[in-house]
Amino acid sequence: MRRSEIQHLYWRAGFGISPVTIESLRHLKRKVVVNKLFDDSASVTLLTVDTSEIQSILNLGEKLSSDNRRKIQELSRKKSIELNQAWINRLVTSKEMLREKMTLFWANVFVCEDNNTIYIQRYNNMLRKYALGNFGEFVKAVSKEAAMTKYLNTKQNRKQKPNENFARELMELFTLGEGHYTEQDIKESARAFTGYSHNLKGDFVFRKFQHDNGNKTFFGKTGIFKGDDIIDIILEQRQCAQFICEKIYSYFVHDRINQNHVKSMVKVFYRDYDIEKLMRFVMLSDWFYNQDHMGSKIKSPIEFLVGLQKVVPVTFKNKRQLMFIQKQLGQVLLDPPNVAGWKGGKNWIDSNTIVIRLKLPSLILNDAFISKSEDNQFSNEASEMIRSAFKKRVSKQFKTDVNWDAFEKQFKNVSIEDLSEFILCCDLQPETSEYLKKLDKISKKEYCIQLMSLPEYQMC
Amino acid sequence: MYSVNVVARISNVLVMDRRKFLKQSSLASSLFFVPSFVKAFEQVASNTLGYKRLVIIQLSGGNDGLNTVIPFHNDLYYRARPSLSVSKNETIKLTDEVGLHPSLMPLKRLYENGNLSIINNVGYPNPVRSHFRSMDIWQTATDSDKFSQIGWLGRYLDNYAKHPYAAIEIDDSLSLALKGNNMNGIATQNPSVLYNMSKDPYFNNIIKHQNEAHLNEHNLGYLYKSMIEAHSSAKYIYETSKTVSSTQDYPDTKFGKQLKTTAQFINSGIDTKVFYASLGGFDTHVNQLNTQKRLLKIYAESVEVFVDDLKKNQAFDDTLILTFSEFGRRVKQNANVGTDHGTSNNVFVIGNKLKNPGLFNKMPNLSDLDDNGDLRFEIDFRTIYATVLDKWLEVNDAKVLNKSFSKLNFI
Repeated sequence: MRRSEIQHLYWRAGFGISPVTIESLRHLKRKVVVNKLFDDSASVTLLTVDTSEIQSILNLGEKLSSDNRRKIQELSRKKSIELNQAWINRLVTSKEMLREKMTLFWANVFVCEDNNTIYIQRYNNMLRKYALGNFGEFVKAVSKEAAMTKYLNTKQNRKQKPNENFARELMELFTLGEGHYTEQDIKESARAFTGYSHNLKGDFVFRKFQHDNGNKTFFGKTGIFKGDDIIDIILEQRQCAQFICEKIYSYFVHDRINQNHVKSMVKVFYRDYDIEKLMRFVMLSDWFYNQDHMGSKIKSPIEFLVGLQKVVPVTFKNKRQLMFIQKQLGQVLLDPPNVAGWKGGKNWIDSNTIVIRLKLPSLILNDAFISKSEDNQFSNEASEMIRSAFKKRVSKQFKTDVNWDAFEKQFKNVSIEDLSEFILCCDLQPETSEYLKKLDKISKKEYCIQLMSLPEYQMC
Repeated sequence: MYSVNVVARISNVLVMDRRKFLKQSSLASSLFFVPSFVKAFEQVASNTLGYKRLVIIQLSGGNDGLNTVIPFHNDLYYRARPSLSVSKNETIKLTDEVGLHPSLMPLKRLYENGNLSIINNVGYPNPVRSHFRSMDIWQTATDSDKFSQIGWLGRYLDNYAKHPYAAIEIDDSLSLALKGNNMNGIATQNPSVLYNMSKDPYFNNIIKHQNEAHLNEHNLGYLYKSMIEAHSSAKYIYETSKTVSSTQDYPDTKFGKQLKTTAQFINSGIDTKVFYASLGGFDTHVNQLNTQKRLLKIYAESVEVFVDDLKKNQAFDDTLILTFSEFGRRVKQNANVGTDHGTSNNVFVIGNKLKNPGLFNKMPNLSDLDDNGDLRFEIDFRTIYATVLDKWLEVNDAKVLNKSFSKLNFI
C-alpha cells in the first residue's frame, strides 16, 4: 500500500499513524492491512471507572430518597469527568482503534446523555459492543438502555398517555431521517414503546400494565406490535440502510455524498445490516482512496486532540484543563449539545474555534511559542535565548508533561524536509508553503509546532 | 533569471500591495467598478444605517407560549391543562383577559412603559415538530420543506456587511443563523481572550502571505477564510470594546453575562448591527412548572437590566430586541406535568420606538386547533424578519429572505 493510502485509512479508521507503523505496513496489500484493522478490533474492552460509591447507593433498595438522588448527582459530576478522560485516553492508546472510532461515530448517531455515571457508562459500553455488530440488534439494545429511556422519556411513555419523544427521534435521527414517516407513524409507534423502563441497577424492565396491547398500524402494517416489531418494520425500509450509509459515508469518506458510492454501500448493508461487512466493503473500495477524499475533512475537536497526542504524547496534570479545552473547541465527550448531536464538518469552525485550534498546539506542547526566525537570522543559541525569554513572559497556561522523546523516536527516520507529509494530511496552501520555506528549520520539534499551528493541520 | 521562489515572493508582495490599497481606501472598490449614482446611494445607506442595532434572543427548546402569555379567562386553557395551568390569581394582568407568567414582572414594567409588543400566533406553514428542523427553519427563514446551510443573518452579512463583526453571537460557537455564503458572523464570549490567542506574529505572517483569490470554497479554503476573518475581527472587537465596562448588576447566569457583554459592545460604539444571544432548556416534556418558572425569571430579569444599561448610555432608542423560540408547545398537557412539541408561539419585540406597543394581535383560538391538537399560526415569522430588515436595518428584505413578505406595523 502507498504511504498516503495507509495514512488516509488510519485517519478514517482511527486518529492517525506513526511513521514507524507506516513503515511496517508499506509492503503489505490493502486487503491485509484492512484485515489487520478488523482483527485488532475483534475484541471488546469495556471502558470503566470506579463507580462503587454510586453503586452502593443504588444497592440500598428500590426507591431513591431525594437526598440519595442528590448524592448520586454529585458523585456523578465527578465521575463523569473521570469517564470523559478515560475515554480520551482510550482513544489515544487503544489497540482496538477501529472499534473505538466506530463507538465515537455511533455516540453521535444514537445520541444520549444522563446525569448518572453508571447508566451512561453502561450506555457507552453498549455502543462499543455493537459498534461493528448487527444494526438491528443495535437499535433494539439502544431502545432498552436505562439512559435512553430516561433521555427520550420512554420511561414516561404509558398506555393512557403516550409520550412521543423516543418514537419521533428513533425515526428522525436514528434510522430513517426526517420526511420518511408520517405523524401518524409516530403516534402509533409511540404506543408500541409504552411500558419501557429500567430498575435502579439500570437493567431493562418491561412494565406490562403500562403497555398498550392494542392494534397499531405502522408503515401500512397492522398488528399488536411491540417496540422490537416496530424496529423490524423500520429495518424493512430500504431508506433505513440508505440513511445509515449516508451517515457513514460523510463521517468516514467525504462530507459531500456521492450517491453512486452510497448506492453500492446500501446494496451491501440492506442485505443483513451487518456493520462490519459494510465497513470492510467501504475500506476495500477503490473510491475510498480517491485523491479527493484524502485530507478532505475537517477534524472534529476530538480527532484534533487525540491525533495531536498520538504525535506527541501529552499528560494533562490538571484534568479540568482537558475538559476546558474540549469545551472551547466545541465538543465535550459524553455531553452532546442535543439529541441531534454535533453537526460536524464546517460547523466545527467559527471565529472562536479556529483561533483556539491554531494556538492550542503551541500552548499545550511548547509554552505558547511558535518559532518564526527567518533566513538564518539567529544562531541556534540566539533562538534558544529568544525562546526562553518568551517562556518567561508567557506564564504557563497549561500544566502538561510533554513527551518529546517519544516523538523523536517515532520520527527518527523522517527527515525534516519530509516532516510535513507525516504531520499533515493535505498539501500546503502554496503561499503558506513559500512562507515556511523562508523560515529556519531549527529542529523537527519546532517545525512540528509550526505545522500543527496551520489551517492545514485541521484537515484529515 | 529569477528562481521560482523569488518570483512567487514578488508576486505575493504585489498582491499584498493591491489588497492593502483596497482595504485602506474603503471606497476603492466602488470607485472602480460601480457607477457613481450607486456609490452615492451606498454612502447614504451606510450613514442612515447609523447606530440602529438588532438584538436577537433565542429561547431554545420550545418555550411554552401558552404559559408565558396566559389567557386567564379562557376555560379551554384550564381544561386542557388541569395541573399545568397558571391560575388567574398568579398571573400578572395585562388586560381583562390576558396575563403574564408570574416570573415576568420585569416585562410588565416594559409593557407599561410602552416598550413591549407581544405578537401572538407566530409560526409558519406546514410546521415541523422537531427542534432541530424547526430551529433551522427559524434560523434560515426558508420554507419548512427546504433545507439550507445559510442563515438569514448570514444572507444579511453577504449582501450588506463590510466585516464579519457586523453580526456577533455572544457564545462559544456560531449558530446557523449567522452563517453566510461568503461571510460568517463572529462568535465570541470574551473578546480579550480571543484577541490574545490570535495575535502571534506567526499567524499574522501566514495571513499576510495569503492571496484570497486562491482560497477555494472547500474545507481548507474555508479554514483560511475563517482564520483571516477571525484575526482581523478579534483585534477590532477587542480594541473597540475594551474601554467600556458595565456598572449594572446583571444576574449571575450565562445568559445574564451574554447580555452584559452585548451592552458593553453596544455602549462602546462598535460597528455591529446584529447581536445574537440565547437561553436554552425550554424543552419541558416533564415537570414543566419549575423549569419554566426558573428560566423565564432569568430571561426577564436579565432583559430588564440590559434595557436599563442601554437607557443609561442613551442607546435604547437605537436598539430593538427580538425574542423567539423555535415552536410553542401542545395545548393539552401530557401525562408528566409537561407539554410536547407544538407549533405557533408568541414573539416579544422590545424597544423605545414601537408603533403598537402592548398586545399586537389576538390571543390564539383554543377552540380551533389542528389535527394534532396544536395552535394554528396567523403570522409568518418571516413577515417579522422582513419588517425588521426593511424598517429597522433599512435594507432590502426580499434580497435577504429570497422572497417578498408583507410588512407588519410594529415599528
